[in-house]
Amino acid sequence: MKVIKQILGGDLKRYTMVVALAVLIGIFNIISDGRMLTSSNFQNLLAGNAYVLVLALGMLMVIVIGQIDLSVGSVAGFSGMVMAIAARELNLPWWAAVLLALIIGLAAGAWHGFFLAKLGIPGFITTLGGMMIFRGGVIWISKSISVPAPEQLKWFGAGYLPEWGPKFTGMNNSTLVLGIIGIAAYVISQLKKYKKSAEVTGTSEPKWAVAARIALVSLIIGYFTRLFGTGREGTSFPVPGLILLILIIVYHTITQKTRFGRNVYAVGGNKSAAALSGVNVARTYFITMMNMSLLAAVAGILFVGRSTAAGPADGTSWEMDAIASVFIGGAAVSGGVGTILETMVGGLMMAVLNNGLMLMGVGADKTQVIKGFVLLAAVAFDVYNKRSGHGAHKSKAK
Amino acid sequence: MNRKKITALLGAAALAMTAITGCGGGREGAAGASANTQEAVVEESTEVAAEDAAAASEEEAPEEEATGAGFEAGATIGVSLPWLGTQNWKEAETMFKEQLEAAGYTPIIQAADQKVPQQQQQIESMIENGAKVIVVGPIDGTQLGSVLEQAKDAGIYVIGYDRLLENTTGVDGVVQFGSVKTGELQAQALLDGLKEVKGEGPYNIELFGGGPADPNAPNFFKGAMSVLQPLIDDGTLTVVSGQTDFTQCATVDWDNAKAQSRMDSLLSGFYSDKDIHGVLSPNDGIARAIITSCENAGQEIPVVSGLDAENESVEWVWSGRQYSTVAKPTDALVAQTVDIINSLRDGKGMPATDVTADNGVKEVAIYELPPVVVTKANAKEVFANDPSRLELLK
Repeated sequence: MKVIKQILGGDLKRYTMVVALAVLIGIFNIISDGRMLTSSNFQNLLAGNAYVLVLALGMLMVIVIGQIDLSVGSVAGFSGMVMAIAARELNLPWWAAVLLALIIGLAAGAWHGFFLAKLGIPGFITTLGGMMIFRGGVIWISKSISVPAPEQLKWFGAGYLPEWGPKFTGMNNSTLVLGIIGIAAYVISQLKKYKKSAEVTGTSEPKWAVAARIALVSLIIGYFTRLFGTGREGTSFPVPGLILLILIIVYHTITQKTRFGRNVYAVGGNKSAAALSGVNVARTYFITMMNMSLLAAVAGILFVGRSTAAGPADGTSWEMDAIASVFIGGAAVSGGVGTILETMVGGLMMAVLNNGLMLMGVGADKTQVIKGFVLLAAVAFDVYNKRSGHGAHKSKAK
Repeated sequence: MNRKKITALLGAAALAMTAITGCGGGREGAAGASANTQEAVVEESTEVAAEDAAAASEEEAPEEEATGAGFEAGATIGVSLPWLGTQNWKEAETMFKEQLEAAGYTPIIQAADQKVPQQQQQIESMIENGAKVIVVGPIDGTQLGSVLEQAKDAGIYVIGYDRLLENTTGVDGVVQFGSVKTGELQAQALLDGLKEVKGEGPYNIELFGGGPADPNAPNFFKGAMSVLQPLIDDGTLTVVSGQTDFTQCATVDWDNAKAQSRMDSLLSGFYSDKDIHGVLSPNDGIARAIITSCENAGQEIPVVSGLDAENESVEWVWSGRQYSTVAKPTDALVAQTVDIINSLRDGKGMPATDVTADNGVKEVAIYELPPVVVTKANAKEVFANDPSRLELLK
């Protein structure tokens, strides 16, 4: 037990959800006769849920500042529809249409940010208004009819990394390179951390623990590299997955390493204290809301790319999926708590659950019920853990 | 010292990486996306089926590029339905299960709760499960493009059910009731009803369309208008509100509540001093919403058309509240679909048909069935073979 604890860096609680996710994947894999852990299934899983996970990135920050954004589905649908119409009826090139969608996202976010930050209207109400405005907008501009999107956009929602280089690797080389970069980045970050902790505190973790940790994570990354890379010829790590990955890195860095990130947590933790210590609360609110709608536009683009058409009902109830991901990932309703990585695990939990139940042939009705229970169970477990510090350790000891 | 540590750590990482990326065979072949599922199917298939497949493969390959040799009798067949919220889809679910199982297949039938992403993922999971044919009743016929092309790449036949699959090359054929024809029948039934119930014209009428995301809805409307427009032009019919465009008359998501509130406002806005004689309704749910709205407004019940022969509307037709409905017998549509699947199984490819429709990317083969108008006069005949609906006619 102590050994495991040392390998994982002394903080077991953080990994509870990861372990739960791994167990879930394992169980589904057994029930479905090995159909869960296949190249194509994981490619589908990632490509099919990238849009929700992208929304969850922004939603985490919104929830950390103690607000909520109900408009993201409508904004995603609206941006995607504007993009499709601009490309089809105004004959804009596809990249200009994408740019337009992102600008629409920014503008929608600025609109929400203005009401929240400048007028002090709670985010719930501001974005409830936004939800209606943009949903109505989609139906209005589309006349309730789906609009086919430019062919090139398919790459964003359903494309794969290119094939190149030698065949002897036995897999898609783009994916292989991605995997190697991932492992290298992890090794470097661990070494840096190891050196730094030795310098700062004077005591350091045992070498073998760090080595074992690196080996474990490398194994996991290596396994998934192989899983994604050895699918059917022409498939690889999906493009929407790569976009998501880049966004995860960007937002992880922003929230953990920058002053803005610290401000977000400070404002969410205690607004008055943050203001007194010189944090510009209004500005933090504004940027967070604007960022959320920008990511909503990205999600809309990914979805339209995958669907090959923008529809009047796109985005309906996506906000709920994003919010659920954030809370399953352990964020607090009162704000100030939650991280990007935990949120992604929460989102993947929902995605795997959905995917596994579908592979088993369970209908949407029952899936919905099960997801509801999982949401409640995950949050209840989290609350229980926080209340009694030993809970996590005890349950892990089994 | 420090360097030594770093070397050791890097070594560990490198070891782990080679262990993973190096070991194991290469990637799956082009057609091997469902390698493990293939095994499962082989296990299920009987010797007879294997012989069948062998015999079939010797026959001439059909013109479809996807596969030529048919598949085993016990093959997995995926059926993806939009939702189970209306009676016809619930019936389709039950009948597909019964008829596919009776024909010896292993069906996977899922409904997507009107959520497009859900339906996309369900179709993908059917591909994962090694389905040989996927039958798709789309929520939005245009939004399944990349998923259906994925199915096509995996050598799976895709059959559209009840609605056209647009904007994709990944579709082999569509089974549906003639939707323009349905609209014509609805309009004709409306005219017949007006003459029978309201006496000689001119008549005041209003028009309702279905959900615009459903490619059938504009076709129903088009068919209906081809019958009604000449009579509107010569003054026999008056659309009092003046709303005669499909976009003005459409009912988003086929939502009865939206139709009812539109009817409420039409009645209060245009009929405070007029009688309404007839309403064109695209389906039964909307028809009942319209009738309820008229009753609430104190109007005499107008002649209303319908579609789907839902139980409640069959009762209403029998009691005279709703003039007509159009039956699109789900069992016939399902039977036609299963016939096509049988033909594919036997290696005979898609059956020949002379009707095609442009889905925006290619000409798609359409297998059309004729719908049937139901009024109180012929209800007993139409449902002679449908004991559960016959039960309602009392």
